[in-house]
Order: sequence, then C-alpha cells, then structure tokens
Amino acid sequence: MTSRVRRLFGRHEMVLLGVTVLLSIVIGALNPAFYSLQNAFDLLKTSVPLGILTIGLLVVLISGGIDISFPAIAVAGMYITCTLAIDVRSLDHLPALLAISTAIGLALGLFNAVLIHFFRLPALIVTLGTASVIRGALLEFVGTRTITNLPPSIIAFSRTNLFEATLANGASAALTVSILFFAGVAIAVALALRYTVIGRGAYAVGADLAAAERVGFNVRRIHLFVYGLMGALAGLVGIIHASIIRNANPLDLDGLELTVIAAAVIGGASITGGRGTVTGALLGVALMVIMDGSLVLVGLPSQWHQVFIGLVVLVSTSITALRTRSARAGEIAR
Amino acid sequence: MHVPRVVIAASLAAVCTLTACSRKAASSASVPTPAHRYTIATVGKVEGIAWFEDMKKGVQKFAADTGQEAFMQSPAQADGAQQVQIIENLIAQKVDAICVVPFSVEAVEPVLKKARDQGILVIAHEASSAQNADLIIEPFDNAAYGRHLMERLAQEMGGEGDYATFVGSLNSKSHTEWVDAGVAYQREKYPKMHDVADKIEDYEDQNKAYQKMKELLIAHPTLKGVQTSAMGTAAGAGLAVEERGLQKQVAIVGTSLASVSGQYIKSGSVRMISFWDPALAGYAMNKIAVMMLEGQKITAGTNLGLPGYESLVQSKDKPNLFFGSAWIDITKDNLDQYMQ
Repeated sequence: MTSRVRRLFGRHEMVLLGVTVLLSIVIGALNPAFYSLQNAFDLLKTSVPLGILTIGLLVVLISGGIDISFPAIAVAGMYITCTLAIDVRSLDHLPALLAISTAIGLALGLFNAVLIHFFRLPALIVTLGTASVIRGALLEFVGTRTITNLPPSIIAFSRTNLFEATLANGASAALTVSILFFAGVAIAVALALRYTVIGRGAYAVGADLAAAERVGFNVRRIHLFVYGLMGALAGLVGIIHASIIRNANPLDLDGLELTVIAAAVIGGASITGGRGTVTGALLGVALMVIMDGSLVLVGLPSQWHQVFIGLVVLVSTSITALRTRSARAGEIAR
Repeated sequence: MHVPRVVIAASLAAVCTLTACSRKAASSASVPTPAHRYTIATVGKVEGIAWFEDMKKGVQKFAADTGQEAFMQSPAQADGAQQVQIIENLIAQKVDAICVVPFSVEAVEPVLKKARDQGILVIAHEASSAQNADLIIEPFDNAAYGRHLMERLAQEMGGEGDYATFVGSLNSKSHTEWVDAGVAYQREKYPKMHDVADKIEDYEDQNKAYQKMKELLIAHPTLKGVQTSAMGTAAGAGLAVEERGLQKQVAIVGTSLASVSGQYIKSGSVRMISFWDPALAGYAMNKIAVMMLEGQKITAGTNLGLPGYESLVQSKDKPNLFFGSAWIDITKDNLDQYMQ
C-alpha cells in the first residue's frame, strides 16, 4: 500500500515538474532574459517567504487540518518584533529578533492548536477567527503606521548575499542569504515527515483520525506540533519579509493564504488530509513563483495577469484532482 | 474568500464605532459650538497607511476647529466590498454627510445612491467619474497632474529612451487618468521616448511593486524611467533600482509621500515625488460638506481658506466637479522640510 501510494506521488511530482519545465520553456521562448542569472536569483528570493509558509501549511494539510491565520501571524511577529527592537535598542541582533518573532508565531500557532484540539472546533473557523482578532488587535494595540526605519540588523540581513555579480549593463545580481532558511526548513520538515513518529503520525491522523488514535498515536501532541510549527514558521517569515521589502507594514501579506494554499494543493497535498510531500510542495511553489514572476517579462498586458494566473491554477489543480480520482478508482477496482 | 473580509470589516466597524464614541466623549471639552452640529463621516480606502492616517488628522483638526461631529473610518484592507459595508453602516447611523475616497468608483456607486436617496450629502474625492455624488472635490485636474509628472520624467530621462508606468489597480480612476494624460503628453511632446510597459498593476502593494520592478528591469535592460501612481510604488520600485545599483540609469517619478519614499529620494533612485496633502483634502471635503449642509453654494472661484484650495476651478463637462491646485513636489533639494 505505502509503496503504491509513494509511486503515485512520484508520478504526480513528475507531471508537475513537466508542467513547470514546459511553462519555463514557453516563457523563455517569449523572452530569453528568463534564463538570466538575475532572474533566477530574483525568483529564488521571491520564493523564500512563500516556500517556507507552504512547507508549514503542507504539514497542517497532511494532518487533515487547515490554517488561514498564518499571514496574520507573520505580520504580528514582524510588526511586534520591529516595534520592540526600535524601542529597545539592545535587542537589535538578528538572532534575537528572529527568535522573538518565531516565538510570537509559535505562541499564536499553539493557541490555534488548543482551540482546535481541546474544543474540537473546525480548524477553518478557528483560524479565520484568530486571523481577524490578530489583525484587529495589532492595529488597535500595537500600531497602524508602516515602520520604514527598520532595526539596523534587519537592514544588514537584507543586504547579506551568498553571491553577487555585476552584469554587463552595470546592474548587479545577488542571491539572498535567506534562501538558506528556506532550504533548512524544507530539509528538516522532509526528514521529520519521513523518519519521526510525530511526522508519520501527522499522515496517520490526516488519513483517519479515529484509527490513528486507536493504534496509539498521540493526537494532542500531533495537533500542537502541526499548528505550532505553522505559527513558528510564519513568525520566521515575518522577519524575512520585512528584510526583503525593508519596511514593516501591519496591513501587509493580506490574501497571501490563497497563494500558499494553491501552491500546496498544486504540489499534491490533499485538502482532506493524509497525503502530500515536501518535494511536491516545492514544485508547487516553483510553479506559482515562475508564473507570477514572469508576466511582465513576457509582456502580457496587465488586464490579462489575473486571467492567466487563474487559468494556470485551474489547470494544475484539475490535473491533480483527476489523477487522484483515477488512482482511487484503480484502488477500488482492485 | 469573502468571509474573512466581512468578519474583519464587521469587527473593525465595531472597534471604529467604539473609538468614535469615546472620541466624541473626550473631545467635547474646549471646542467651539456651531449653530447646528452635523455628523460628517469620512471614509478612506484603507485603514492604517500613512496617507489616510494623515487625512484622519485633517478631519480631526476640522472637528476641533469647528466643533462639528466629524470622524473618519476606513476598511481594514484595500477592498471595495469592505468600503461598501462601512458606508452601509454609516447610512444606518443616519449621518448628515459622507465624504468618501472610493477604492473603486463603480463599486461604491449603488451605496452612494442609497445614501443620497436617504437625504445624506455625499462628497467624493479622487473620483472624478462618480455619478452619485453631490459634489466631487479633486486636489487638481488629474490630466494636468499627469502631464506635470511626465514633464519631470522626460527631463530626468533627457527626453528620450524607454519608460514604463505603474497603477495601483486598473480600477483606480485617478491613477489611470494620470498615466493616460502623461503618456499622451509624452507622445505629443517627446516622440523619442517609448512606453514599453503600460499601466502595470501592483495592487497598491509595495512588495508587488518591488517584484514587478525587478522583472521590468530584466525584461527591459535599457529602461530609463518609470512613472508611478500608488503611494508605496515609488518606494518598492526605488528599492529594486537601488538593489540593482541603477540609480544613475533609471529615474522614478510618481505620487508618494516623503515618509514612504524619502530614503529612496536620498539614495537617488526616486527623483521626484508629488502628492497633495491628505490632511488638507480631508479638511476641504468636510468644509465643503458643512457649507453645503448650511445651504451655501460652491461655485467657480469659491475660497475654502486652505492652501491650494483658495480658488476652486469648476469642470467644464461636469458642473459638480471642482479642482484645487494643490500639488506639492518633493525632490532631493526640499526633502528635509517634509521628513519628520
């Protein structure tokens, strides 16, 4: 059974890879600048916040849950941490700020988990509610103004690159250091999902909660883990986002949950739980980033941007859904 | 995904109502008592951003100066549906006048009609095409402003080369009017300039503007200029140009505030930003509302007693559309006086 399922995902990921490569070839044919080093670095930078959040959401989806509060959590971590660091100058060290924002995210994520696990409330409703409360409270109690004079350590972080090059026209291309966080999170979560009890438990709970409970998985721990992880990663993303755009706007990241859910689902994560892989999620992120980040490049008129994005999302999710259905039909027939 | 927005709008409306009430209680101490006390609501595009925070200050100053019950509330997110919701609530509260800066003119037309049908005075701003407003006050003629920005961009570009234009959204009437007038002016006066990407949408999101600008710089390596419209776009695009080290090659000119784009004016990627003072615009809308509620007529030449609004210009095609002459330019030379 497991080997069969794994083979199926292997195939889904191959299809997705094919779609992404095809899209890249089409874009590259329309504008060869797509293949430039600069563009590759830009796309990688754009993928960092989206990618980390998608990995976090993947784990939630695998466990059969959903979370739409993570953009609000990311903004809360970012804005509270930046506000704090401006008032308390001695806190202005990158590890400290990352830790504070991640801790804020973790706390909010665990709060979600408590409501979902102990009060048995639907995750969609819980996270919808906490998202509203977090955003409202942030404006009411912390502040409404965009912080443009960020703590110097965050500015320094935004200027730290793994690799820099100067191009022919005098422009520079740089690969942001924050890509390491993305890589680290992806590897750690992939290993956790495969080799740890809690990771296997997430799949089990998502596939069949009652069965997982009966065979002895600690459902409470799994719920705390998946929502806590989502929150913590959102907190981390908050600081990375601030460093990318060099400001902290308490209204930022609105609507990001849709892009992240789309990336995870395109990547093969099942919205009903039990299925999904880090590799698939990474491919989903790649597809979203390449698609969204190439519309100006190919010279598509603005009014067509939304249409195009909608079409690609529809086609990719349809392929996923159809393949899943035919696979299920195959199982039943047997 | 309409559910969360409605929830947020409702909770925000509740919070706003509460704070409006507490403000009413707190501010009744030392303000003048007008002959008739009107309730005037000003509705911005979005809560929390610098622009509408400044406008709120203008509204609060008006309330303090005149003793009128004037307050401001805006949607939690830049979203037409939420703005409609807030106006619905204001109609239910039976305010005397609504001053509105529509997120999308088309989206608010029905609810503005409803307000007017119930006898509420409607003053609109940044909405020259609005049909259901008693009066529309613009800080300036949008076409004249668009030409003004393009003239500066042309100077920065030496009158030749590739340029692109940004709008917050294609639904934003004023943004498209600025850009269209600017592009038309360029075609007529600077034939050696070329519009290589017209009206790129950034959804009023600085991060989107930053990403699209980076893309634009790859797609058009010869790009020499950009005209921007939404408040954060000059800053987002400025960051992209600065990261690429292209401050000398690429000029950005557009609408923004010193507090948002100041650092990029300093670094040279943004050459000039223009704006009108949102505090004055908020004050002007409220002032007009009270004048009209008191039965005074607004005509060509009316003096609101505010800088840039000393002699209103009436539109030729639309008798209820009035312009001030209230744009302010900021460059490296005068930046300091606008930075707090």
